[in-house]
Amino acid sequence: MPIFEILTPMSVLLCFFGVFMGIIMGAIPGMTATMAIAIFLPLTYALDMIDSIGLLIGLYVGGISGGLVPAILLNIPGTPSSLCTTFDGYPMTQKGEAEKALKVGITASIIGGFFSLTVLYFFAPMLSSVAINFSAVEKFLIIVFALTVIASISKGSLLGGIFSGLLGMFISLIGTFTDNNQMRLVPPGFEDELVYGFALLPVLIGLFAIGQLLQEAEEGMKAAPHQRIDLQKGKDKNNKFSFKIFKNQKVNVIRSSLLGTFIGVLPGVGGSAASITAYSQTKNFSKNPEKLGTGEPEGVIASEASNNGLIGGALVPLLSLGIPGDSTTAILIGAFLLQGIQVGPLFITSNPDLWNGIVFALIIANIVMFILMFFSIKYFAKIVFIPKYVIFPIIVVACVVGSYAINNGVMFDVWTLLLFGLLGYIFPKIGVQIPSFLIGFILGAEAEKYFIDSLKGSGGDLSIFFTNGPIAIVLWVLILGSVIYAIMDSRKAKKADVY
Amino acid sequence: MKKLLMFLAVFLMAGILAACGSDSEEASGDTNDGEEEASVDLNRIRVLIGSTSTGGDTYQIADATSRHTEEALGTNMKVDAVGALRAFDELRKADDDGSTIMFFHDMAYLGVEYGTFGEEDALENWTIGPVVATNPGNAFLTKGDAPYNTMAESAEWLAENPDETITVAIESGGVSEVVFNGYYLWVEEEYGTEVSDRIRAYVTGSQQDKNQALWDGNADIIHGSIGANNEYTQNGVEDNIKMKFLGITADERVEGFDIPTFAEQGITVNGNEFVFNKEFFFLMPENVDQNFATSLDNAIAEVAENPDYAEDLKTNTYVVNHMPAAEAEEYLLEKRENFRYIIENAPNLDEIAQ
Repeated sequence: MPIFEILTPMSVLLCFFGVFMGIIMGAIPGMTATMAIAIFLPLTYALDMIDSIGLLIGLYVGGISGGLVPAILLNIPGTPSSLCTTFDGYPMTQKGEAEKALKVGITASIIGGFFSLTVLYFFAPMLSSVAINFSAVEKFLIIVFALTVIASISKGSLLGGIFSGLLGMFISLIGTFTDNNQMRLVPPGFEDELVYGFALLPVLIGLFAIGQLLQEAEEGMKAAPHQRIDLQKGKDKNNKFSFKIFKNQKVNVIRSSLLGTFIGVLPGVGGSAASITAYSQTKNFSKNPEKLGTGEPEGVIASEASNNGLIGGALVPLLSLGIPGDSTTAILIGAFLLQGIQVGPLFITSNPDLWNGIVFALIIANIVMFILMFFSIKYFAKIVFIPKYVIFPIIVVACVVGSYAINNGVMFDVWTLLLFGLLGYIFPKIGVQIPSFLIGFILGAEAEKYFIDSLKGSGGDLSIFFTNGPIAIVLWVLILGSVIYAIMDSRKAKKADVY
Repeated sequence: MKKLLMFLAVFLMAGILAACGSDSEEASGDTNDGEEEASVDLNRIRVLIGSTSTGGDTYQIADATSRHTEEALGTNMKVDAVGALRAFDELRKADDDGSTIMFFHDMAYLGVEYGTFGEEDALENWTIGPVVATNPGNAFLTKGDAPYNTMAESAEWLAENPDETITVAIESGGVSEVVFNGYYLWVEEEYGTEVSDRIRAYVTGSQQDKNQALWDGNADIIHGSIGANNEYTQNGVEDNIKMKFLGITADERVEGFDIPTFAEQGITVNGNEFVFNKEFFFLMPENVDQNFATSLDNAIAEVAENPDYAEDLKTNTYVVNHMPAAEAEEYLLEKRENFRYIIENAPNLDEIAQ
């Protein structure tokens, strides 16, 4: 079916606008794709459904993709799903390969986006049937599988990494336990502020941005080595981007896109788990696992292919079951319902034009995202040349504004940002590993929810995690394999250090 | 010296932020003297809703109502999906000029009765605004191949099969708990504790979680609604996700749907037909500007007459149900009183939860 029989020129224009705004919002620490869609949702009331879809899909794709810019250039994940992009993206920037890292990320993003789009188009109804078979038990095991990344990224101390991850999980449980609406782990006097616990984004940005800023302030705001490299002239061939980088990364890019798409398909399992799992598996299968985390394009590819892969994945349960795959699609469901369109098992057959419109909007949004970001990225990359005494105050303001805006203006979120900023400064000094802590914090609440749901379903019988069927067994094999590999890798790294 | 400067800068920033925080609470729109005709000169009204979802009935009805009311009031209204606890908290701190108001449903007082919200959130502590709409599709559902077709039949089936149990997925402290309690008490009255003791509750959160509980086999019956669940009951839906309605709690059937009401099924509590209409209304700060309250009341009366508003609600099977503020206050306090019997006699969720 020709694209322009479905999409109007207005919807294409709106899609373009959506991607542009999404990239900007994704690139500002604290602003997310979810927030971008929520802000523009009222605008869609006046639009036709197809035009609305163009705008919303554009914002979704742009918002997820924009997160890689601050992750690579400033070591601040723009969105939670770009957390793993910082592991190798920022070290590449420190080596003077900022532009290359950005282009690797953008290319991986479009591959992941198109991969998931293909899956969405051809397999949506079939995948939704598979997703339904993933009960709380399997979802819990998927989260545990994602958590094994803590073991593989623990630098220097495996036990330290696991402790950091558990600490993150513990902090994520602060607030109200929804099953009985009782508050737990809340210090006296903070009941009003911590009724919902700490919000994710202020914690994320505080630990990365403010923590790093304080650390650099302590060192005296000297120019980093990468700030002295002239990227424009590109004399050093290693600093230049080439599509040849992807030649040896075919398996990585497909595996990461597939993992991103598949975890996106599982209703309720957050998108962050997708990039975390993909990164973990890339490290486990890598020929040079010890290099991951030191500035390897392989890591950026894993993270970015998977987080864009989850877009198509998350739309599968939304469109074929009527249930959102992540927080962003939860906002999208509202947009559909406000226009009187029921998303559910009959959506695709009952609304063929709308279904095709969504697919076409995704194609256009991914292409626009690639063109906009790939060809203007050198301007973004210039951020790294701005002196720290100029860029840091701007980052602080962006972080504070972003945190304040996350929940429509809650001052406590700004205090959270500053508190975790301080912790981000202290943690490395006392041996708490920030990436492990954050992964625990991001996945802790989900792990608890599915753990408790599993026990409720089994009447409290813990054996349910081993007896729920073949999918659970396969997941246990993967978890054990991943953990054993991580332990062996850690021992190897220690031995290498000794010699 | 550098370190000293850095710490001074941090303290200065913290001071500025603290000041921003206190200002934001005191910021207000233009107030009205209250002597003029019923109108508001606020630039913007923030409508807090007791849900964090933008896909649920609260958001949809609040959105349609706000879009029509802002025209009648000559201002802008913005729906803010912040969730019940935060909405109450912010309403308590809000200015009395009407720039921040709340829109919610029966959970506003049921939550207090169940202890989910504190006594400080009781209806007496707010100015109750007009009732505007009803979601008549408040329902229970089960799997497409379940051996019963109504809630009444489910109890009969339970009585005939003494080794069986029925687990119902609900959310604690709200509408789904009170309607579950109504069903539970009826089974207890009609069939005795031998049967009602085999009804279990599966306490969970969102509609998505309840659906998943049904599909996973963790619940046999779920609380839902026509708007949210109708898609799963249609012909052509795969067997593993197919659902069927077991009854709605409203006083009348919903046009276009062959779903019996609880009353039709003979479900009674304490000798009275069990009817629960899920109604949506405004709450305002206790000492809200009387001129604003009157203006809102008048505007809602105008909106309720607007066929476009009715059409907007009908899109998702909601209906206009207007009751001016003065009547609404009396009505809601009485409704709360009527449901106290159920809440006081309800089983303890901790004991019957799976």
